Amino acid sequence: MKTTLSISALAVFASGAVFAQDIAQADNDWFVAGQTTIQEILDRQENTNQAKNVILLVADGNGVGTNYAVRLFAGQQEGQLGEEHVLPYETADFHSALVKTYNINAQTPDSAPTAGAMNTGVKQRFNLINLGGDAIHDDCSTVAGNELTTFAEIVTGMDKSVGVISTARLTHATPAGVYAKTANRNWEDSVPEGCTAQVDIASQLVNAMEAGIVDFAMGGGGRYFMPEGASNGTISGRRADGVDLVAKAGEMGVQFASDTASFDALTMDAPVLALFNDSHMEYEADRADDDEPSLADMTAKAIEFLSQNENGYYLEIEAGRVDHANHDGNAYRTLADGVAFAEAVAKADELTNDEDTLIIVTADHEHAIAFNGYCGRGSDITGLCYGVSKEGEMHSDELNLAADGKPYTVIGYLNGAGSVLTEQEDGTFAGSRPDLTQEDATDIDYMQQSLIPMSSETHSGEDVAVYAKGPWAHLFDGTIEQNVIFHVMNHAVNAE
Amino acid sequence: MQTRRTFILSAAAAPLFARAAVADDAIKLRDLYERRGTGLSELATELVGQRINVAGFMAPPLKAESNFFVLTKMPMSVCPFCETDAEWPNDILAVYTQRIVDVTPFNVGITVSGVLEVGSYRDPETGFVSLVRLMDARVG
Repeated sequence: MKTTLSISALAVFASGAVFAQDIAQADNDWFVAGQTTIQEILDRQENTNQAKNVILLVADGNGVGTNYAVRLFAGQQEGQLGEEHVLPYETADFHSALVKTYNINAQTPDSAPTAGAMNTGVKQRFNLINLGGDAIHDDCSTVAGNELTTFAEIVTGMDKSVGVISTARLTHATPAGVYAKTANRNWEDSVPEGCTAQVDIASQLVNAMEAGIVDFAMGGGGRYFMPEGASNGTISGRRADGVDLVAKAGEMGVQFASDTASFDALTMDAPVLALFNDSHMEYEADRADDDEPSLADMTAKAIEFLSQNENGYYLEIEAGRVDHANHDGNAYRTLADGVAFAEAVAKADELTNDEDTLIIVTADHEHAIAFNGYCGRGSDITGLCYGVSKEGEMHSDELNLAADGKPYTVIGYLNGAGSVLTEQEDGTFAGSRPDLTQEDATDIDYMQQSLIPMSSETHSGEDVAVYAKGPWAHLFDGTIEQNVIFHVMNHAVNAE
Repeated sequence: MQTRRTFILSAAAAPLFARAAVADDAIKLRDLYERRGTGLSELATELVGQRINVAGFMAPPLKAESNFFVLTKMPMSVCPFCETDAEWPNDILAVYTQRIVDVTPFNVGITVSGVLEVGSYRDPETGFVSLVRLMDARVG
């Protein structure tokens, strides 16, 4: 479709100004903006430089639908109607493609094999990280011989540095995709008794730092790095084996931070391990600046540190909690974290050079999020669906009503805790849609209505988008398998 | 640390659910906590010792046939891909009721009336440590 549109628009544009003046709408702002877009695409130069640096930014659970909502939310926060807003990675200097996210054995993916696909170049199995297709979930005996080579290992062999950032636990699936190989994504601080083929994910991170593979690691999940009963005032340990990985990292000469003050005190002369919370970092909507840094702040610190390596670096940055708020069916926090992700992308772009840095922006999977209609322009993306106005652009003052006579939100979920069906005294599920006001719907804690009752909203197998700029970004085109992202990165750093 | 603690939930929800209702004059549970902070709010400090109405959701009780449950600001949605264990959110309210709790579904809003109490307390039956509670409470 994109190609078809481009060709037809080109035909109009290429036919010359004389013809264009004969078009009644030639002076229309939309017409002029369309011509401008075509010119921007025509002006693109394929960048075939060797990529010195690769930055992979992943907003967990930010599929095409969720990203659409983030766009409107970001625009509305800036006083726009919202629909017209352009996120930092939606400009014409980013190439893009659709991405198929399924796992080897799952139509609906989870974040472990999707992160693994991007970090190894092959699709993986549900709930496993960086093990080949013969490995079995939760079976330690299938680890040996199935370990895959990661992009972090490849670029370490090229004397590049490696960094990983996440607002989720650093041992969570997407950041673990950079450095871990595990038969179960949940083996974050321990493995089953008798399992000797691998260690837990937290230990794998510190081992990777000791091996010089990972140089900069920053996120949540401190409890898995300290012994049960131990505390440093910010983090309370939960490791049953009594191992203090923070102390071990310190003995290796790694700097440690656990709050904004210690984050600000980090220097550029030693590797970094920063763990800002027992579990995940706070949602952006709940985060206090004096408690935890923002994703954009962490991004800037990582780039400043990794840029010291004249051979370059690989940095994976995850906005991990877009996914979590979607699981809660809570659009407000989903979108606030999506905006924080967009700000991190803008920061990464600002601090790097397109000539030598490949920036890739994507998601690992989508959610069971959906959008109602027919809403007028400017309807609050977290709120109720207002009618389409006959004049002007802004929506009418009339709420659209469903057949039950009640208004409804723009965003809904197919399943989750916000189900309109609730458990009755006899164990059956029944219900009707509650009454709803705009004040209720736009509240930070509001859970959008859903249909199928579940304790947690689910992922979906719907495509995500990938956007990229820098060396070989033009290789992203059409509809691709998720593991192709690795191959673009690998091609870019090896191009002669 | 109060807002960073974690507990493992045991799903021991009783089978029968009571009818739920949300009172108009209830304060929101989140108003008892600092916004973008880690401590209790000024409002909570002012209300200590007073009977108040708080709107929220009943987390699946830790123990059946109990006069204790945890009130959450949002339904206790448990994501199998986010958590290895079910975890309490930062801002919760322990509730000790006058009578055995009639369980309501985790995603149906309720209002609880009780006397606000602060200070560390370890529940003798469940081991649950709370720093802020509603005592002598009733639901609805």
